Amino acid sequence: MKRHVIETELALHATGDLPLWRSVLVRLHVRRCDECHGLLEALRADRQELRRSADDMPASISKDFDWDQLAAEMTANIRVGLAAGECVTPRERKVATLSWRPLAFAAGLVVLLAGAWWLNIPRTDTEAIGRAIRDMATGGRMNATQSATQDERGPVVGASSAGVVLVENGGRMGIDQGGLEPVMYSVSTQGSASARYVDQDTGQVTITATYVQ
Amino acid sequence: MFSKTLPVAAAVLIGSGLCASGQGIKINFPKDSPVSSLTTDLSPPVTTARGGANLIEVNTALSLRNSGQKRIRSMTLMVSAQDAAGKGSVSVPTLDAGPGETFSIHIDTRLVRPLTAGSPVVEVSLDGVLFDDLSFYGPDMLHSQRSMIMWELEAQRDRKYFKTLLASRGAEELSKEMRLSLARQADSSQRGVQMVRGRATNIDTERETQFAFLDIPESPVEASNGRARIGASLAGAPQFEVRNRSPRAVQHLEISWIVKDQQGREFLAASMPADMKLAPNQSGPVAQDAALRFDRPISIQSMSGFVSSVEFADGSQWIPSRSALDQPGLRQVVAPSPEEQRLSQIYTKKGIQALIAELNKF
Repeated sequence: MKRHVIETELALHATGDLPLWRSVLVRLHVRRCDECHGLLEALRADRQELRRSADDMPASISKDFDWDQLAAEMTANIRVGLAAGECVTPRERKVATLSWRPLAFAAGLVVLLAGAWWLNIPRTDTEAIGRAIRDMATGGRMNATQSATQDERGPVVGASSAGVVLVENGGRMGIDQGGLEPVMYSVSTQGSASARYVDQDTGQVTITATYVQ
Repeated sequence: MFSKTLPVAAAVLIGSGLCASGQGIKINFPKDSPVSSLTTDLSPPVTTARGGANLIEVNTALSLRNSGQKRIRSMTLMVSAQDAAGKGSVSVPTLDAGPGETFSIHIDTRLVRPLTAGSPVVEVSLDGVLFDDLSFYGPDMLHSQRSMIMWELEAQRDRKYFKTLLASRGAEELSKEMRLSLARQADSSQRGVQMVRGRATNIDTERETQFAFLDIPESPVEASNGRARIGASLAGAPQFEVRNRSPRAVQHLEISWIVKDQQGREFLAASMPADMKLAPNQSGPVAQDAALRFDRPISIQSMSGFVSSVEFADGSQWIPSRSALDQPGLRQVVAPSPEEQRLSQIYTKKGIQALIAELNKF
């Protein structure tokens, strides 16, 4: 079976750019193949046409014009243009791509620490830390009421639906009635807090209180 | 030898029967106490590490017996931790325990202490017992005698009112009154509040607001010219003047402090007790260096107060009558007495006949 020469090899053979050993093989094939011979002749005709077109340059350009020098100058100008453009164009910032795994790990760690804090640290300590941070943030520029509210170095008694509590010297004492919610509670300005509970079965009333010494 | 030693050991054990103790908890009643503890097996405190602190929980029920000769109307136990200056108390104001009868008091206390402080011993001791003739026994370290007498006077006042109502208008009217009392208890609004002493000078820049005192004509003491400084969710430095308009000398009085918010809701913020000696017709100023902080933001619109109790020089007390408390602005705010709450609970749980039977005991 006779295989035709591919068109690119024919084009290279027409311009004399095919390696010698390959060029011999192409030449032998073209002699025996009318189809490839016709294609080779067409390529040679196109090449002649291109040469004629190149000859139709402006009259100011002589035939011995140094095209290589022109190419070098054009290349240099393009480089200068690119460098100038680099100076005035804002740089694209590379955005660091983050993987979801470190983010998920960090979120889990935050949840774990928050849970541990909530379970272990007394609420008053959390509030005291919050107040200290706010105090630092405001640089001590709080008004007098805030100062009174947040400066709790002295004893404090409180009454709420959670019962009564005394906070003093870093310690705390709370008294309630085994999870019952008080039916009423109040404080006294002499330094006590009280809560009243009613037993649902017997009706017995119990009053718990805490006292500042 | 054993025959001599055993009686001595038994006497020691009997003597120490009033002083039960468990690991970390100690029950300490005087030897001549009219109340004895029947509890010998105390639940030990449960200690849990919480961050940098120890949480010590004491949860025990004391079974007690009236070992005296009089009926006990109320009793107060003092709860204290070995390492702390502050005290707590548990009171039962609506008792009716005859000689030899038993009753129980539940104590549920939580202490938080720094880890370095260890686990303190929690001591439960007797502070006072009030009998039906208003006589009192106990060291009264917490000034509980005054409160216990007031509770008993309120109980006598309310029982008399309900018995009169029953006798004059029947069981149906008593039922209606109980339902009204329960509705008031359900509708009362309260706020969590903290009391900080010695902070009055810190709120000098806040605005001063006048107190409107509700006059109770029968009150032996008249309060006037009240004012306090208020800020955001804070009220403090209350001051007022009092005048003894009775023919008897006064040694202690208590003013109830009512706060009204911007939404028009009124609630009892605090009580303001004052120890002061006032001769008949004598006036005097009262100023307290204390501040109240509410647990939720509140914009205070106005404040009012009324004289809620007076103690005379002879130890007797005055409390407002029920008709005095029925005036507008008071009934919804003033909490019912412990006895009224006990009776209304009996009505709710057991019905009108059980309530009538309970009233007839007195």
